[in-house]
Amino acid sequence: MKKQQCTIREKKKIRRETISAYGQSLPSILLILLIVIFPIMYTGYISLTNMNVYHWNNYELIGLENYKEALLVFDNGFLTALFVTILWTIVNMVLQLVIAYGIAALLNINGLRLRNLYRTLLIFPWAMPGYVSILLWKTGMYNSQFGLLNQWIIKLGGEPVRWLNSNILAFISCTAVNLWLALPFMITIIDGALQSLDKSFYESAVLDGATWMEQTRYITIPMIKPIIAPSVLITTFTTFKQFDIIYLLTQQVGAKTGADIHTILTYAYEKAFITNNYGYSSAISILIFGMLIAFSLLTGTNNRRRTNE
Amino acid sequence: MSKKNKQGVRLVIVNLFFLLLCFGVLIPILYAFSVSLNAENSLLGANFSFLPKKITLQNYKAVFTEKPILLWFKNSVILAVTTLVISLGTGIPAAYAFSRKQFPGRKMILRLLILLYAFPSLLSMMALYKLLSPLGLINTKTGLIIVYTGTMAVFALWNMKGYFDTIPVEIEEAARIDGATQFRLVTRVVLPLARPTIAVTAMMILVYVWNEYIFAINFMTGSDTYTLAAGLYSLQATEMSGSWPVFSAASLVVSLPILIVFFAMQKNMATGLISGGVKG
Repeated sequence: MKKQQCTIREKKKIRRETISAYGQSLPSILLILLIVIFPIMYTGYISLTNMNVYHWNNYELIGLENYKEALLVFDNGFLTALFVTILWTIVNMVLQLVIAYGIAALLNINGLRLRNLYRTLLIFPWAMPGYVSILLWKTGMYNSQFGLLNQWIIKLGGEPVRWLNSNILAFISCTAVNLWLALPFMITIIDGALQSLDKSFYESAVLDGATWMEQTRYITIPMIKPIIAPSVLITTFTTFKQFDIIYLLTQQVGAKTGADIHTILTYAYEKAFITNNYGYSSAISILIFGMLIAFSLLTGTNNRRRTNE
Repeated sequence: MSKKNKQGVRLVIVNLFFLLLCFGVLIPILYAFSVSLNAENSLLGANFSFLPKKITLQNYKAVFTEKPILLWFKNSVILAVTTLVISLGTGIPAAYAFSRKQFPGRKMILRLLILLYAFPSLLSMMALYKLLSPLGLINTKTGLIIVYTGTMAVFALWNMKGYFDTIPVEIEEAARIDGATQFRLVTRVVLPLARPTIAVTAMMILVYVWNEYIFAINFMTGSDTYTLAAGLYSLQATEMSGSWPVFSAASLVVSLPILIVFFAMQKNMATGLISGGVKG
């Protein structure tokens, strides 16, 4: 009898806690439901219709037609954009890690007195608003008439280069800007990881006659790997979702440069707001969301496995 | 060569490398700064030089007198502050509840939040447009505030919940045993402890609204409703136009508050962010 009362009281307590917890989080959850989740579901619905600029209100359901268009018709460009995005992510992440590691390692050389000054200066691109930097690069560096790069080339007697007009050159130019924007964060993370390492590991390695390369390969990299892994993962996501650089440099409305490189995000944007094919663009959005979910579930389970070991 | 000498030479080379690197990295910003101060409009041709020969503040004056930058500034501030108040006002109690209380549905909602956090709001922009336009909210500040608040609500809840998790419950229990009421507990114990994460979350929200341009240019028409970011976007020098000196002056003016906030909060940022959402 007494025991039962106890469980009843406990149940009441749980119920009270549940009610108060939901009461406290209700405004926030409601906001997210209405402004984030509902539009995503609505995007899913639009993706099943033929909504476009001619069918703004009188659209009809057409099933999975838009998804077929995206995934099966190669000429529509989605698969190319996906390929470019994957290439973009791999190239940028590899360059970022290698360069950031090199710079961070140099920053930690013994006797480098000015290292804090260098750290502060190198962090600058991170502190600037991203879109401002990209626009400054576009005009200040890459502009074919008064951009700095071409001014220098002309001074050296060369021919001005149209940096953003052809695909490969534009890809390289965009990569340069992305590295400029993203390296400060990566350098900071690796630099912090290097500083947290225990120096005594190296002493015994040096006694054993290990070279710098061997130390890097067998001590430094295995040790910093778990520390930097979460940040690397997040950067991979942001690189994959990159929109601003490619959009602002090459495809602004009325200022297209002629290069035709698309990441999946600029592709989805163009289909929605430039060519006004809303149904198709929504299908692309849902596909991208699906990929992001799959990607985060995959890396999430990997992380858990690693911490269990 | 002795070992000491060898090391000295190595240090000189490394220092040289870093000086060159720092200069190289800063070139885009330094060049914009130099152009914004340049008195002669000699951007083209043979007399080009990296440093301005004659210095003027004319371009900065033009930014403030010829362009509606103060109006854009006002719009940005209104949007940023409103978004901030709503997202923190709803986010703090929710983050606290999710961190401290066990209730059915908690785990599921948290998992969903991670997925939503990965979703770029750009992808549902079209749907948002279609939903807001029959309500008459396109081309209004309210419409943009709605969009920004939703995006930031996910971030605020997730980021602050992570920080609350790191504050030991024992502190609150001790206060409760000492007879603190729920209200006093929150205002005197919880909020002061959470100050770092509230500051960082607030800063991230401000910076987000300050820098957001793609919703602003698509949802707002007419330059007097622009935010700073949208205004700057509309000012930018195209391949042919010569407003590049004014644009670079405007860019630096717009960046300055962000730069100040960034370097002022750099220390806080590591603790507030890393112990917050990023650790997940």
